[in-house]
Amino acid sequence: MGSVGLTLPWEHRITGAVRTGERRVETSEGRTGTGVVSLERSQDADVAAACLKGDLRGYEELHRWQGRRMKNLARNLLGSQTDAEDAVQETFLKIQRSIASFRGQSSFVTWTFRILVNTCHDLRRARLRRKDQTSEDVASLIPADMPRAAVAHPSLRMALERALAQLTVHQREVFLLYEVQGFRHAEIAGMLEISETASKNTLFQAKKNLRALLEPPRSAGAGGAQ
Amino acid sequence: MNVACEDRERIFLDGTAEEWAALELHAAACAACAEELRTWKELSTTAAELRAEEDSPALWTRIEAALREQRSAAAERNFWWRLEFRPHLFHAWQMALVGAMVVVLGVSGGYVYTHRGSVPAEEGSTLLKTRALAEVERTEHEYMTAIDQLAAEAGPQLNQPTALMANYREKLLVLDSAIAELRTQAGVNPSNAHLRYQLLAMYQEKQETLQDILEMKR
Repeated sequence: MGSVGLTLPWEHRITGAVRTGERRVETSEGRTGTGVVSLERSQDADVAAACLKGDLRGYEELHRWQGRRMKNLARNLLGSQTDAEDAVQETFLKIQRSIASFRGQSSFVTWTFRILVNTCHDLRRARLRRKDQTSEDVASLIPADMPRAAVAHPSLRMALERALAQLTVHQREVFLLYEVQGFRHAEIAGMLEISETASKNTLFQAKKNLRALLEPPRSAGAGGAQ
Repeated sequence: MNVACEDRERIFLDGTAEEWAALELHAAACAACAEELRTWKELSTTAAELRAEEDSPALWTRIEAALREQRSAAAERNFWWRLEFRPHLFHAWQMALVGAMVVVLGVSGGYVYTHRGSVPAEEGSTLLKTRALAEVERTEHEYMTAIDQLAAEAGPQLNQPTALMANYREKLLVLDSAIAELRTQAGVNPSNAHLRYQLLAMYQEKQETLQDILEMKR
């Protein structure tokens, strides 16, 4: 029987979310070869194979493994828990429709998140078309129903959410994928179909803009997203 | 390693672990860099707090129901799946026709594939020319017809209540779903050669699957 091609020549490692406050420096050595990465790689291949066979348990496993992370990213991109859940559901449906075209050029998780980001784009555009909001203004993109985590400086987090809403969509996506979801630049490059260098540059620009937006009044006129 | 204030932004952009360590050392004696470093790191610390992950117990139930519904809808769309096999309609000449169509599509697909690099870069490497597009669409239609005939022939074998055939049925459902999706995309953007290649790959996969089923019958 011919195969649909499930060889998985990963160049991109799957990463878990980083720990709070961890400074991430990506080197070529990275975490390649560690037990954690091998385990995740194996899990990724197993889930992909199950989904490819049309086994719903594969989708359930994907949801158990990455569902929270997917919903969290969608909520940060769309600003609403309801929209986030719709985006996650639509992503699973798209995966089922196009699973046969998955050829393993990236990890299955990277492929899944690429679909999720595109789905969030579609939902945002649809929402704008429906005129549920008059423009992609600041207030509409601040998660209103974000559950409160135990944080030391909730006001700083709120300020960050407001500042994030002033970035370009692209900068916001890269910042959220890297700093919040803990993906590596190589993975983000695969998701957003950009180069790794572009991902690094965009993150740098996003953080510079955020820093300017969050600075005290002395530099309040320093400008927003570029 | 020594770093200076002017190295700071470059290290923020793409510094190595060694450069970061050197910057930390430098910041211990430089108030400006210490403040910049603190602010930069605080962004990451605060960003991590946006990672609130709470349970949505009902979400998977909802997704699972939607997945099942979509799978059923895809099955209904696949007309060949509902065809009843009529052996008296299948003749030797039809088998020959199927073979001929496969050869025609193989040659055309091979030609398009091997000459894809000859399109001038400024015209866009993934755009098919109108004449080539018409040719691809014609052969694609013939290929589809041929595959439908193969599917009809494989029908009785495929309907057997065995685990192996159940796997084949699942696989064909998934392939048909992917083909339908790709055809929709190709309808929106008919000149996208990449989509055509993907579609061709799906058709070939379906053809090989059906051939495997037919070979078991013999």
